[in-house]
Amino acid sequence: MSLGAPTTNAGSLADLQRAFQDYLLSSNNRFAASVRDTRKADRVTLLDVYRDGYALRLIEVLTNDYPGVMAMAGPADFDYMARAYIAAHPSHHPSVRWFGKDLADFLARTPPFNGSPAVAEMARFEWALGDAFDSADASPIVAQTLIDLPAEAWETLAFTRLPSLRVLSFDFDVPRAWQQRDEQEAGNLEVARADAPTPWVIWRPQLTSNFRSLATDEATMLAVLMEERPFPELCECLIPSAGEEQAPARAAGLLRGWVEEGMIGSFRH
Amino acid sequence: MSPRVDFGLGLRPDHYEEIAANPGKVSWFEVLSENYMVPGGNPLQWLDTFRRDYQMAMHGVSLSIGSIDPLDLRYLDELKVLVNRIEPMWVSDHLCFTGLRGVNMHDLLPLPYTEEALDHVTERVMRVQDHLGRRLVLENVSSYVTYAASELTEWDFIAALAQRADCELLLDVNNVYVSAFNHEFDARAFLRAMPAARVRQFHLAGHLHKGTHIIDTHDHPIIPDVWELYAEAVRLFPSVPTMIERDANIPPYAELLAELDMAREIAARVAQERAPEAAE
Repeated sequence: MSLGAPTTNAGSLADLQRAFQDYLLSSNNRFAASVRDTRKADRVTLLDVYRDGYALRLIEVLTNDYPGVMAMAGPADFDYMARAYIAAHPSHHPSVRWFGKDLADFLARTPPFNGSPAVAEMARFEWALGDAFDSADASPIVAQTLIDLPAEAWETLAFTRLPSLRVLSFDFDVPRAWQQRDEQEAGNLEVARADAPTPWVIWRPQLTSNFRSLATDEATMLAVLMEERPFPELCECLIPSAGEEQAPARAAGLLRGWVEEGMIGSFRH
Repeated sequence: MSPRVDFGLGLRPDHYEEIAANPGKVSWFEVLSENYMVPGGNPLQWLDTFRRDYQMAMHGVSLSIGSIDPLDLRYLDELKVLVNRIEPMWVSDHLCFTGLRGVNMHDLLPLPYTEEALDHVTERVMRVQDHLGRRLVLENVSSYVTYAASELTEWDFIAALAQRADCELLLDVNNVYVSAFNHEFDARAFLRAMPAARVRQFHLAGHLHKGTHIIDTHDHPIIPDVWELYAEAVRLFPSVPTMIERDANIPPYAELLAELDMAREIAARVAQERAPEAAE
């Protein structure tokens, strides 16, 4: 590598900062000419503290955020994947909390990672869990408040989900595999394909996040509820599966379950 | 009356349960601002719980006070929300830049110690202080490279900045030690150049010695040489609140408390040394 001659006036603050960042982000070594060797170490060794540190710090962030992906990939493949992601997605947020936000999309569309779609699904699941963990706080409503409502209120009654609640559909059984992420050596976690694409709900009623799979009609109704449509429309969306007669009872039963599980943030009528 | 703020630790999630089970072992905690700049959930619940019983200082890593990018006003607004939530004793960050062109390198990159950089940082510190409505506390970083363009020593740069911007200083004793080794300067000369009235807090930490240079890893116990330098810092700047900053390879809470006892012992010893001087 050519370092160029050390200079006594290596440029303005702006030039130096640009050159430093370019040095860390790319193979542009121009910056090395702007710093000095010491008697003990040459400048490339010293600059490598920053270059290595940059990658290692962000790999550690991804390792913490994506233990399930690590369990599937193993350390070597995870490292390769993480470095590719770091190169493609420099952080644009003040907090490393958000650095891994785009990993699932990156894995789903970027060769060779898109050849293992279960890994992208695992990443999507883990990011959703992290989102639920520190999402906005809200106390779920309790069943009695609905029981106390006058009958006519149900004509216009609409709900908002808990801020932490999100629904994802998986082709692979990643949530169950995720629960086994610590049970075997990293790299050996197998994720089975589900019999059919399965909707899963993730939510945090208090301080602990929950997740479970949803029945098909349940996912349909929850999607309508999340659009804050009134209760009669929640019943209506179940007619194709439950029939006109049974739809209101099924809707009431599902709603009661969600309220008892702490998924519903508020209601209005 | 509030208890005296003297020896503290960094509040780390690994210790939440232990801190709750062993109250009153420290008088204050330093919290990493960005860890609590989230919408809700567990981190903020714990923060509010501990705030009821402990004084707190906020310590950020993303202000990027030296960057040529415009100040991130959205970040400052979010920081202010957290300031209003926990009413910290002070708000600190690092004298460095963390990126530019909107990219955050999540590292504390050193500045060239030039008059141009000094003017630039001074102006930005004053703007941040106006925005937050309080003085900013800035920490000296560990660094591994020396810019050929630097015209000032690090200590002259920091002292001039503190004076011109009317800000305060978080003196990281380990960082002074690390940079002194890496750049072959006298750590005690660095300490002596600091404006005593502006030293608001001490940091202590461990590091990784690579033979030719030292890396500031915060993942080891504090070494004897750094304890000695700390004693010198306490001689120069008595009664400055001290905390141990451990960021990786985090030991049990009790182990860090034991390490903090070492800081207490050193401060007490220095105070005893000073007592006869005061009596004279």
